[in-house]
Amino acid sequence: MLPLPRENQKVSPYFVFYLIHSTQIGVSILGFERYIAKDAGYDAWISIIISGVSINMLIWIIYQILNKGKNDLAAIHMDLFGKTVGRLMNLYFVVYFTLFAITILRTYLEVIQVWVFPQLNLWTFTPVFLLLMYSFIVGGFRVVTGLSFLSVIYGLPLILLFWFPLQQADFSNVFLKIDHNLTELLKGSKTMSLGFLGFEPLFLFYPFIKNAETSQKWAHFGVIFSILLYLTTALVTFFYFSKEQLTHTIWATLTLWKIVDLPFIERFEYVGIAIWVFVVIPNLCLTVWSAGRLLKQSFSIRQRTSLWITLTILYVLTPIFKNRQQIDLLNVGVGRLGYYTIYFYIPLLFVIQWMIYRVRKNQ
Amino acid sequence: MGKWFRRQKGGQSNKDKNEPTFSELLEKCKESKDFISFRQGKSFSFYISYYKTLVNPDFIHRDLLSPITKHPIQSLDELKNLIPVENVTITDDVKDIQDKLLSGFILVHENETSARCALIPAIAVEKRQVTIPETEFSVVGPKESFVEAIDVNINMVRKRLPLPELYAKEILVGKLSKTRVVVMYIQGIANEDNISTVLQRIKDIEFDQIIDSSFITQLMSDNHNSPFPQLIDTERPDRTASVLSEGKIAIFVDGSPQVLTGPTTLPEFFSAFEDYFTTWHIASFFRLLRLFSVMFSVLSSPIYVAVLTYHYQMIPKDLLSPLIASRSGIPFPPIMEAIILELTIELLREAGARLPTKVGQTIGIVGGIVIGTAAVEAGLTSNVLLIIVALAALASFTTPVYQMSNTIRIIRFPFLLAAQFWGIVGVSMCFGFFLSHLLKLTSLGRPYVGPVYPLRLKDLKDSLYRLPFEKLSRRPMQLLPEDPIRFNKTRAEKKQDIDE
Repeated sequence: MLPLPRENQKVSPYFVFYLIHSTQIGVSILGFERYIAKDAGYDAWISIIISGVSINMLIWIIYQILNKGKNDLAAIHMDLFGKTVGRLMNLYFVVYFTLFAITILRTYLEVIQVWVFPQLNLWTFTPVFLLLMYSFIVGGFRVVTGLSFLSVIYGLPLILLFWFPLQQADFSNVFLKIDHNLTELLKGSKTMSLGFLGFEPLFLFYPFIKNAETSQKWAHFGVIFSILLYLTTALVTFFYFSKEQLTHTIWATLTLWKIVDLPFIERFEYVGIAIWVFVVIPNLCLTVWSAGRLLKQSFSIRQRTSLWITLTILYVLTPIFKNRQQIDLLNVGVGRLGYYTIYFYIPLLFVIQWMIYRVRKNQ
Repeated sequence: MGKWFRRQKGGQSNKDKNEPTFSELLEKCKESKDFISFRQGKSFSFYISYYKTLVNPDFIHRDLLSPITKHPIQSLDELKNLIPVENVTITDDVKDIQDKLLSGFILVHENETSARCALIPAIAVEKRQVTIPETEFSVVGPKESFVEAIDVNINMVRKRLPLPELYAKEILVGKLSKTRVVVMYIQGIANEDNISTVLQRIKDIEFDQIIDSSFITQLMSDNHNSPFPQLIDTERPDRTASVLSEGKIAIFVDGSPQVLTGPTTLPEFFSAFEDYFTTWHIASFFRLLRLFSVMFSVLSSPIYVAVLTYHYQMIPKDLLSPLIASRSGIPFPPIMEAIILELTIELLREAGARLPTKVGQTIGIVGGIVIGTAAVEAGLTSNVLLIIVALAALASFTTPVYQMSNTIRIIRFPFLLAAQFWGIVGVSMCFGFFLSHLLKLTSLGRPYVGPVYPLRLKDLKDSLYRLPFEKLSRRPMQLLPEDPIRFNKTRAEKKQDIDE
């Protein structure tokens, strides 16, 4: 069995709320409306709820696995599948987390490129961003938790900005007529699940929570809060944009910020994008921290070393994706990978663990 | 084990060799002109030796020489009984003799070779009058401030906390200066771990000369490379007594009119002690104002640079024309303009601080009015930026703790550079770097950004804002006090009913 973290490195159970929530809100909330509207039209708000409920079920499964395993994913893998296969599975998750981090980072950099600095040189800007991540992760899990806590606090005032689009909203055609069938709604919720991706670090930070079993409710609250936030954003977007307009708007949420009208500032989306650094950073930090933690646990290397490895890979791979098509491809690809990982692999792992524990008990 | 033991023993004998014998010590002392040694007495003769610059001359004549001329004594023990002062010791430990001789004791010995002698305290203390606090001045409230003499300082705190539990542990620090450092805390309130951390860190200090308490801060702080001060230094005895009763620890250093208190948190640097002398609404308002002014002071000129360099679309239409009017004809890009002005302000502040008070005022007038107006009229800077920079400088002076206000003024320069490179996103990222630093920082092992992270809602009542006194019934949990209850809350909150 791998050693568990020391008591003074752990955080209180309620921080799971912020950890889960901050990993789910990231770049995807800036432009998810178009994709779900493509599948389920204005009824996509139902898809958000369906998808959110399924994520809550997954959280429940994850807690079942972890409560039984009493350690993180790396230890559970190596316990269930033996050292070699377990390490391979861990490696898969390292790759997954790394790809996920690349997707978040590249998409956020694209936002900066599209909205603020078209001429941004990625080869010089990315390392500064990675260094910022490094300076957080090197402080350990407590610092990363603090970051995600503060980021939720920083991000919340941005909700108030929905007041401006709501003044010009058209409430008529969202709720009353539901004109999509269940398949379309489910398709929409499949697309939506990409927005909720990112809670997988729970597998790794579970041992860092004090009385981890009691933290489950906070994880559910975190997901519910994310659902509410996505729902509000989607509804405001649907109220504001016409269907035709929405299909052409890649960054619908950002476009909503654009109409914010304050006496001392124009083009509020610049401020929003700057504040969004703090929403994206905890997301990235937790993902990269998880990848590094997995490497440390399965190959017994120092986490500082594994962190450098992950960050170097990020530096090399992120600027490779050049234009909108490639970034979209990356998003769709990693989204599909994540979809299968959470909806198929996690229940599978639950079943396998259940069976193996049963067999062991009988022996 | 045996090897280790032998080495230890070898070290000890080596030390013995370095220690001078009594006659060698006297020889050394006699090299100094102010060392006096003379023979006294008729039937039983003895030597009296002391540094005349360290002892009180009145004492020698009144309390030492006059009794022994009146009553001839036969031995040192008799002398001890005869002299009307406490703490007379008879010893033959040469090291002790040396230390005491150099701190103002009079040495009475029978001859120049045997070490057995009596040590009589006659310390002459030159001390400044207790004056009004200057850096932490408050309009209302006590007007005492610490002085250089450590015993006077401790006296001012003890007067306010007449408790036997108020412990004072003394440690000598500094190989050459042998400065007295006193750690004070209230036993049963202050956290045991914090106390042992402080004592251990002070014992671990390796330095030759401790001149001031700021030396101790720098030598014992958690992160030596942080620009943020990790202990609060105060010159107010009332503030010291108040934080002691909260469960903090105070460190007094001889020769320093500042006392260090810790563990501390970031919000505490923005609370003036005067906040407790006004009602809680006003105190809270001023605290929030100070927090705002810190943000303004750090971020205003970087945001000016970011907006004018990259994001001029952000400026509202009505504001654009005055900005353009003030910027037109200025030969420098915004970053140059900002750095020049910021450096000018720093220059003025530094010149004002180095000069005597009266000349300093002149510098302020010359700098603020003449140079500022001239720079705008000459078309070197825009008057909008001049306003921003001057306000930012003003805002940085609202920070009540001097060390912190220095930090606030310095950290805006990295923000300026970040704004020049990546605009408002750069400012945000630079903020991220500082945030990561602050999250990692600790003060005596306790998190620096508390009570915000880790969030302790109950501690917020006296940090970013201040609630009324009857709400402050618990000590800050951040400090993990041994006894968290300050007073009985239900009794304090009991209100009279209508018409009673």
